[in-house]
Amino acid sequence: MADVDEEDYVYFGTPIEREEEISSRKRKAIAEPGTLRSLPPWKQEVTDEEGRRRFHGAFTGGYSAGYYNTVGSKEGWTPQTFTSSRKNRAEVKKQNIYSFLDEDDLKDIGGNTLETSMQYDTFGFTAAEFARKKAEEEQKKRPSAIPGPAPDEIVLPASSSIGMRLLMKMGWRQGHSIKDSNAESLSEIRREARKAFMALSSNKAEPDISEKDADGTDEFPDMSIDVLRNSENTPVYVLNPKQDMYGLGYDPFKHAPEFRDSKRLRESKSRETKRSKVHMGSLLSSNSKKYAPGFGIGALEELDAEDEDIYASGFDYEQTEVELEPSKAVSSSSGDRMLQLEHKKRGSLLGFKLASDSDYKLERFYPPAIPSNFRPIHKFGAPLDQTLKNYNSVPPPDAPPPENTNLRLLIEGSAAMVARCGKSIEDLYMEKSKTNPLFLFLKSGAEGYDYYVRKLWENKQKFVDNLKPAEKLTAENRGRILGERPLASTTSRVNDVSVKAREVINTQSSHGDTVTKPISLADLPDSAIKQFKHDPAKQERFELFLKEKYQGGLRASGTRSSTSTSTMSEADRARERLDFEAAAEAIEKGKQTIQISAPSTDHTKDLLGFGEDRFVSSTLIENSETKLEETNVVYPKREQFEWRPSPILCKRFDLIDPYMGKPPPVPRPRSKMDSLIFLPEIFKSSNKEDAKSPIGNSLEASKSGLKEAEAEPSASEADVAPTSPKNVERPVDLYKAIFSDDSDDDEADAGPALNQALNPVKSSEGANKTLNRLVAGDFLESLGKELGLEVPPGSIPGPSLNTNTVSLPEEQKSCKGGDDRDNTPFPKVKETKSKDYGSTVDSSREKKRSHSKHHRRRSRTPDLDPDSGSDSDSHRRHRSRSKKRHDRRDRSRSRDSESSDEAYMNRKERRKKHHSRHHEHKKKDYGDKYSDKKRRS
Amino acid sequence: MASSGWELAVNESGVLKGHEGAVLAVRFNGDGNYCLTCGKDRTLRLWNPHRGIHIKTYKSHAREVRDVHVTTDNAKLVSCGGDRQLFYWDVSSGRVIRKFRGHDSEVNSVKFNEYNAVVVSAGYDRSVRAFDCRSQSTEPIQIIDTFQDSVMSVHLTKTEIIAGCVDGTVRTFDIRMGRELVDQLGHPVNCISLSNDANCVLASCLDSTLRLLDRSTGELLQEYKGHKCKSYKMDCCLTNTDAHVVSGSEDGFIYFWDLVDASIVSSFRAHSSVVTSVSYHPKDVCMLTSSVDGTIKVWRK
Repeated sequence: MADVDEEDYVYFGTPIEREEEISSRKRKAIAEPGTLRSLPPWKQEVTDEEGRRRFHGAFTGGYSAGYYNTVGSKEGWTPQTFTSSRKNRAEVKKQNIYSFLDEDDLKDIGGNTLETSMQYDTFGFTAAEFARKKAEEEQKKRPSAIPGPAPDEIVLPASSSIGMRLLMKMGWRQGHSIKDSNAESLSEIRREARKAFMALSSNKAEPDISEKDADGTDEFPDMSIDVLRNSENTPVYVLNPKQDMYGLGYDPFKHAPEFRDSKRLRESKSRETKRSKVHMGSLLSSNSKKYAPGFGIGALEELDAEDEDIYASGFDYEQTEVELEPSKAVSSSSGDRMLQLEHKKRGSLLGFKLASDSDYKLERFYPPAIPSNFRPIHKFGAPLDQTLKNYNSVPPPDAPPPENTNLRLLIEGSAAMVARCGKSIEDLYMEKSKTNPLFLFLKSGAEGYDYYVRKLWENKQKFVDNLKPAEKLTAENRGRILGERPLASTTSRVNDVSVKAREVINTQSSHGDTVTKPISLADLPDSAIKQFKHDPAKQERFELFLKEKYQGGLRASGTRSSTSTSTMSEADRARERLDFEAAAEAIEKGKQTIQISAPSTDHTKDLLGFGEDRFVSSTLIENSETKLEETNVVYPKREQFEWRPSPILCKRFDLIDPYMGKPPPVPRPRSKMDSLIFLPEIFKSSNKEDAKSPIGNSLEASKSGLKEAEAEPSASEADVAPTSPKNVERPVDLYKAIFSDDSDDDEADAGPALNQALNPVKSSEGANKTLNRLVAGDFLESLGKELGLEVPPGSIPGPSLNTNTVSLPEEQKSCKGGDDRDNTPFPKVKETKSKDYGSTVDSSREKKRSHSKHHRRRSRTPDLDPDSGSDSDSHRRHRSRSKKRHDRRDRSRSRDSESSDEAYMNRKERRKKHHSRHHEHKKKDYGDKYSDKKRRS
Repeated sequence: MASSGWELAVNESGVLKGHEGAVLAVRFNGDGNYCLTCGKDRTLRLWNPHRGIHIKTYKSHAREVRDVHVTTDNAKLVSCGGDRQLFYWDVSSGRVIRKFRGHDSEVNSVKFNEYNAVVVSAGYDRSVRAFDCRSQSTEPIQIIDTFQDSVMSVHLTKTEIIAGCVDGTVRTFDIRMGRELVDQLGHPVNCISLSNDANCVLASCLDSTLRLLDRSTGELLQEYKGHKCKSYKMDCCLTNTDAHVVSGSEDGFIYFWDLVDASIVSSFRAHSSVVTSVSYHPKDVCMLTSSVDGTIKVWRK
């Protein structure tokens, strides 16, 4: 049916529903504020002016509040405070109230401007401000005599505050209390009421009334007064004057208000009754009563009996209740205090009590009782003196070693032990011998006893010998050991004599460069002495030398010993002396072998090492051999080494680099460790050099290091048959590496600044090396012994340390020969040297004092060199500077031609010409040629 | 040999005076027309000894000048001395072109090589150093430090560097072979000098002996004694004909030895004090001697 109905209607135009829809939202938005406000707050919605919802739930897009649903603004986060005022000064913003209002607020305001209203100006501040502004404006209009802004005091608010106005409306008048009028009115009302009541009631009520009236007056006692004082203004705030001497804000009756009352009571009483009473001081009069609890005693202080009567004398106290209070407190607290004090005394904490009995007790241990016969001085079983005495005693006769090798070794070993450790060991062995048949030799008469005694003596001797130098290692001795030349002053005879005399008196020191054993020459075979038969003069000197050496006990310092040598040169003399020393050495050794080591065989040496002199090396014999060899060396000797010229040097010499294309040289050992790494090579080289030239040994020692480091086996080296490695040689470099000063290869690295300091060291280097070798030999020997190795024969402990000096290489001697000169014979040379200005020869010995000398020399030179010519020179230099450039070119051109005086002049002329030519040149075509010229020059 | 006596420069023909203080070295230039002297007064002086003219003074050294050498083209000088530097001079302008550093101590001797490209110096710092004149670098291009002591004198040949050292050696460094030949003389070598044929080297030792070595074998050919040379750096040389050996003496004498039989041909007092240096003309019979007394003397036959 509906279909039919619909068919019946014909529609024209467009329906207007849509418009409705559009407007609906707006309508809703307009309608909503009213409806929404009625809703509870959680159902209300915030919308903007178009009715859009401002805040969405988290699921519908979150919080949307600011600029395009951001919390930001159009400007974003750019700070508004900063705007460049340089470009747009006009736009400098000032904040006013509108900058805090948004559109909605502004709409609400409408066209009205915001102003502060005077209506609610409670305290009149706004009015005051207003008035001041007005005054300022006025002042601007008509300038007054007083320049500047009007002072605040002058400008007073024209209008009163709202509160005042309200009060005035309520009937309050200025100068009247607010309360009064109120009370008045109240009382008035009451009075009215009372009157009415009285009118109603009869007369019987009269006394009541009167009573009440009286009551009334009683009720409002102030009111009547107030009525009287109506004209007075109410004091705004009454401060109670501080009349006590408590601290500010301290209320003594804070927790006891009842006492306050009693106090007030007393005060009023005293005011009445004892007003006339004279107190001790008018100043303290008011305070005197409450003195006790307050004055002089801080609140935190404990009350004490003493505190109480500090001020007691001279003060007239009234016994009041107040005063009882502190006294009470004192009495009560004093008990506590007593307790406290007690606690304090015992050092325990408050509330803790010391235990009456504790488990802990200090234990004391008493020293052991010393037996009455104890003497507090220790006595050593076998004092050293004794051994010394033994040593001094007559040596036991030689004894042949027992056939049994084991026994012999045992004997030797134990002898050495006994010699070292003293009698106690022997006693120990004795005890052992009771059980062990091995030690039977200790008993006199047993097999091997004689041998043991002999060995013991020998060892002791050695041991004592060893001790001696250690005891008195004076500077001189040390110097001698180190192979230094004694200084002139110390070798003065007197000194020597005194030293030597002492030594001789004490014991014979085997350490005898100066003191020697009294070996009689008679004992020596003739052949031994007559070593220089071929040269009678020399033989004579040698005999004299021996005589001085062995019979005199003292030996004159070398060169002076024989007058006949005065004609000889220094070096010759030194060399000869070496010869003599060596020969004497050999003789002595020969004797020794007869005396001492005759019974001993090779094996004995294994155990011999105990008491050997520290500085006597096993290489002694070798040294002496080499010494003898040295003397026979014929100069000149030629040696060949590899040497690498630098490629640039070859180039400059116009030669082909002989090492071109060959592997670069092994870098020199920079550190000591490197040299240790190359040890085998070094040791081989030193061997080689030994074989070649024993003299060069120490000289080349340092060199060999670097030589071999860059070694390629060359022809000459190949020629050298590899000698059997000598143990002794190895540690030379080892020791050098460890102990010696910087050697040559390091020297090059050292800066120039260092060099000065190193110079003095250099000269003694050779000596050091030799010494090191000796020490090293000794060291190795002992090491070998410890390791149970066999030490090469010839390690007999020679008595003479003088070999040290002897074994110094020949070169050193000769270089150092000057030292002898220093001593006596040639002082003149030195004198002249220092006087003259000729350059002296820089021999090694000179280096020692090169510093001082150079200094002297240098300091002298300025006197000798007047700078008279310097001025002219500088002038010349200035002049020549301009010429120089041209000269250079000239020179290169004229390299081949000139060879005469005229040539020099020629050159000068030509230079002039050249010069002028240049000028012309420049003038002609400056622009083109200038750059060309520049390039050329 | 008898005729050689005539050819000795034993007659004083001139005295060059100008140095204040000791003259430490005198050197003929390559052709013998000029001579250079240096001394304690920290100057170098260029002379024409034949005319007795003082041509130029070179001042720049801060300490004494011990040795000087001039290039074969007479354009450059090199000098050395107490101030541990080599001064490389321009002869005509008298200005220092370069200072070669590197020596740690005083420099005793200096020489140019044949091509004037390298300067080789010997120093108290036990080293011989070679410097390149052609590069701007002032650092040595080669350091030879196998010496044990102060190197007193250095000479160069075309292929070798020869140096005498206080350690008693004359060392020849053959650049071509890459070998170092060490001739041990056993006495500190004060000065070395090459014969004109360069086959022999004359070494003045501090034991007052001159030793003539054959360079090829290292053999000692002759020893010359009689003069006094113990502590000063003194020069020795051979005459232009290699017939005689000349040396000064500490007592101011000049000695002439016959080369072969080592006999003193002539000796005369030349100076009042130590004769520090002698230089023989390369071609003529002319000799220069310098002394601590501050004079340089010219000797002719």
